Amino acid sequence: MKDWLITACGMLSLASALLVVLASSPIYSALGLLFSLFGLSALYLIWGSSFLAVIQILIYAGAIVVLFVFVVMLLDLSNTINVGKGPGWFATLLATSTGWLFSLFLLRALNRGVFAVAPPGKMMGSLRVVSQVLFKEYLWPFEILSVFLLAVIIAAYCLARPENLDAENNRTGGAR
Amino acid sequence: MSNVVALSLDSLKIFLLFFSIVNVVPVMLWVERRMAGLMQDRPGPNRVGPFGLFQAIADVVKFFWKLDPIPQNANRFLYLVAPLLSLMPAALVIAAIPFGDFIVIGGREFPLQITDLNVGILYMMAIGSLGAYGVLFGGWASNNKYSLLGALRAASQLLSYEIPLGLAATGAVLFFGTYSLRSMVLIQDGTLFGFLPKWGVFFQPLGFVVFFITSLAETNRIPFDLPESEGELVAGFHTEYGSMKFAMFMMSEYMNLGTMSALMTTLFFGGWHLPWVTDATLLGWLHGSRNLLGLVQFGVFFGKVYLFLLLYVWIRWTLPRFRFDQLMRMAWRNLTPLALLNLVVTAVLLYFWEQR
Repeated sequence: MKDWLITACGMLSLASALLVVLASSPIYSALGLLFSLFGLSALYLIWGSSFLAVIQILIYAGAIVVLFVFVVMLLDLSNTINVGKGPGWFATLLATSTGWLFSLFLLRALNRGVFAVAPPGKMMGSLRVVSQVLFKEYLWPFEILSVFLLAVIIAAYCLARPENLDAENNRTGGAR
Repeated sequence: MSNVVALSLDSLKIFLLFFSIVNVVPVMLWVERRMAGLMQDRPGPNRVGPFGLFQAIADVVKFFWKLDPIPQNANRFLYLVAPLLSLMPAALVIAAIPFGDFIVIGGREFPLQITDLNVGILYMMAIGSLGAYGVLFGGWASNNKYSLLGALRAASQLLSYEIPLGLAATGAVLFFGTYSLRSMVLIQDGTLFGFLPKWGVFFQPLGFVVFFITSLAETNRIPFDLPESEGELVAGFHTEYGSMKFAMFMMSEYMNLGTMSALMTTLFFGGWHLPWVTDATLLGWLHGSRNLLGLVQFGVFFGKVYLFLLLYVWIRWTLPRFRFDQLMRMAWRNLTPLALLNLVVTAVLLYFWEQR
């Protein structure tokens, strides 16, 4: 029963991940991404990581993909069905083989590296375990990462900001 | 008790709890219009049944009989899926709400809650945030400028207000020290200093104010109903929807209202507890009958929920609508810093309380 569920959720996740890449309209890509995330979240849930499953939905499905959809709709990207001719055979071959190699490396790393130490199951990824690891072992990296993210936000604001605020105000009639 | 009986009793319980939240929709349809009439010195719907009580039934019959067109250049698939995407999250969040303690049937305890998740409040936030998709896809797929504008407004509003909502709830989570909604309610039993009910609102007043204002915006209610403001956008994201498809959007809106009220009752107003009366005292009054106690708790919980719903209606017919830039400024410049302040103060106070 459990194996069947895992297979079904994995298939859902994979099929919708394929939709992300192959869909002609960006809005269906976003929809595919959404369902792919649902599949992953269900897998987390089956393996006993309820916290990860919920956070996956909350952050990725509930906020980030909404933002994607928002941008697609705001820029009206839905009509860009044909983006050029598409890649040639050499580029396709190169991309496929690179992707294949990369996933092989990833598989080896996951099986041997630091991740292999903790066996799956046994409350792995539950709220208590995650917060203890996050706020005891990895407290400093976690905090430094948050400062780094703040720097990224400030940088993004500086890039998006008009060069000269006064000039911008004059042009738009000062409504700011 | 055999497994089959237990399973069917569980299903019956799920159905009844689900029904009690869905029932908010017809009740609120009637309450909203009658109260609007009361506040504007006119009768309101009063023809169908006593006091117009059957008006909701008449409305549903009307919805079913209406023409159900699909706009010519609409994206058919997304247009049809959008109302479902809106209704499903609204129905799913009910699973984590604790309606009462438990009742005993045939020696087996049935908690008056569909499931007690140890990440209960996170679950409700996560599933609740999925409601944005119905609005977004619905507005975009109808191929109408007003719908699209409404959808874009809805998305930015929901995303912005989710942050103060989450932060305000985090303050309560810090205070109670648990994510499980049931444990939160159990902590709020009894009194504080002998005269105040031990409710979350007395420990988290700022958190409650922020949470309440934000919940108005998250449910698209006036004064924050910019996604469907009829003065500017015809009807916003559901302009092109008719018949039961429109009714599904409306149902999900009222169900969200019900779950928001339930969440506020649970986090800040003691859930199923009567003020000043502990569960143990109440159990004594009821001659130790757990089932009667469960029923009373269920009633108390819904009494509180409907008080909040009345407050929502009161606000709707009192305040005018915000402008969109005012709405965004309020989320980012007022509510988010206030919620953060609440979180920091709570954390510092709790730290010193533990050190004592």
